[in-house]
Amino acid sequence: MASLFRFMASPDTLLRTSLHAAHAAAGAKLVPFAGWEMPLDYGSILGESRAVREGSGVFDVSHMARFRFRGPQAAAELDHALGGAILDQPVGKARYTMILAEDGGILDDLITYRTGDEEIFMVVNAANRERDWGLLTARLRETEAEDLTLDGGGILALQGPDAPRVLAALAGVEQVPGFLDLAWLPSSHGELFVAGTGYTGEKGYEIFATAAQMVPVWEALMAAGVAPVGLGARDVLRLEAALPLYGHEIHEGVTPFEAGLRFAVKGWKTREFIGGEALRALPEPGRELVGLTADKRVPREGYPVLCGGEQVGVVCSGVWSATLEKPIATAYLKKGIDGPLAVDVRGKELPVERVPLPFVPHRSRD
Amino acid sequence: MRPDDRSYLPSHEWASIDGDIVTVGITDFAVSQLGELVYLDLPDTGRAVSRGQAFGEVESVKAVSDLNCPVDGEVVEVNAGLPDDLSALQDDPLNGGWLIKVKVAGADALEGLLDAAAYEEVVAAES
Repeated sequence: MASLFRFMASPDTLLRTSLHAAHAAAGAKLVPFAGWEMPLDYGSILGESRAVREGSGVFDVSHMARFRFRGPQAAAELDHALGGAILDQPVGKARYTMILAEDGGILDDLITYRTGDEEIFMVVNAANRERDWGLLTARLRETEAEDLTLDGGGILALQGPDAPRVLAALAGVEQVPGFLDLAWLPSSHGELFVAGTGYTGEKGYEIFATAAQMVPVWEALMAAGVAPVGLGARDVLRLEAALPLYGHEIHEGVTPFEAGLRFAVKGWKTREFIGGEALRALPEPGRELVGLTADKRVPREGYPVLCGGEQVGVVCSGVWSATLEKPIATAYLKKGIDGPLAVDVRGKELPVERVPLPFVPHRSRD
Repeated sequence: MRPDDRSYLPSHEWASIDGDIVTVGITDFAVSQLGELVYLDLPDTGRAVSRGQAFGEVESVKAVSDLNCPVDGEVVEVNAGLPDDLSALQDDPLNGGWLIKVKVAGADALEGLLDAAAYEEVVAAES
């Protein structure tokens, strides 16, 4: 046993969400994550994963960075600063896109929420908050930017087939937002800003709670029987749905095309944007993101993928799938590889099977 | 406190001696840190093992980890049913979830390992 889980990083230097005490009371194992102290699990990663697939679960993802951009040029300037089109993003809609480097590499992935003609709300990865802020503010000219991450508010991701019913009851409404729709719902906790987004492949919502709403909304969800779900299950669920994670499937060394994320750079052929020229000059990618399954052992990040004893790829992410009850992994694989694949697990060859992505079908649009 | 009838490694393995046979396992703290177990690899009998060297691997939903041997000797028995049913290791790692038995040279095989009180300090520091 090596001490892999020595989560010792001095707790007093870590940021805490407004729900810290609620997590502790719910039995969370709290761990350092991107500078925050966050719930890894509430006892069972697999049980929490199943709760989201079968009923509903809620994740506190208030560590994720929240930016707001305002001004008459906000959409036009972000359209140039980001990989995907923003100018044609309708008010009331969310869109997945990314920040690209000049060479077309992926610096981060994010969601933009068009909250008004002249206002765009954005959520980026917690670990990239400071770099993204620097990049974006340097790329914008007239647009006013605010980093709201530390205002005490946060994001509660309510996910699962029961999520629509739970949200309708929470807000006291009959109509809940559709996939990628934004809504401002009345509720006994005040108006709730909600988006039809998530990171599980299930129907679900991200509730952008104010500081005053965080605890009451969380408690209302607990009282409604929604399972608290930690970051461990979040990783299982997002990988089952083959949703990319920054630092794994996507990073500076891969392009959106290799990652299978062409939709995230909407308008790339014709728009003028940072990274666009590089994307248009790229040769056909020589590798692709693929799905692997294995028996018993999990192919983990960094393990080489082998074919006939030769390395033909590398694993990006691997987890034990709670839904499929077997190991699953993503990997970058050279194109045109035909033959039995294996993964080098600490010096031993583990046979793996290539399967289509996602591992678990998306139901978020149903 | 954990049982004082045995000795411990700081990497969370335990060893108890009976004559020239040492039974080896991992502690409940190790299991709680790993979480839900999915895979266990144990050595064949007859294999020579030595203190501090890996004799197998355990894998959980969260991570894979080496199993380090607390003693020098030869593996004479393994808990053969365990890899196919990890529940004893998950639920009772200090007893029914033992891993291997090692034949050692002498009664001093556990010398230099941690006693229960010293191991408790390791656990406290990592909790």
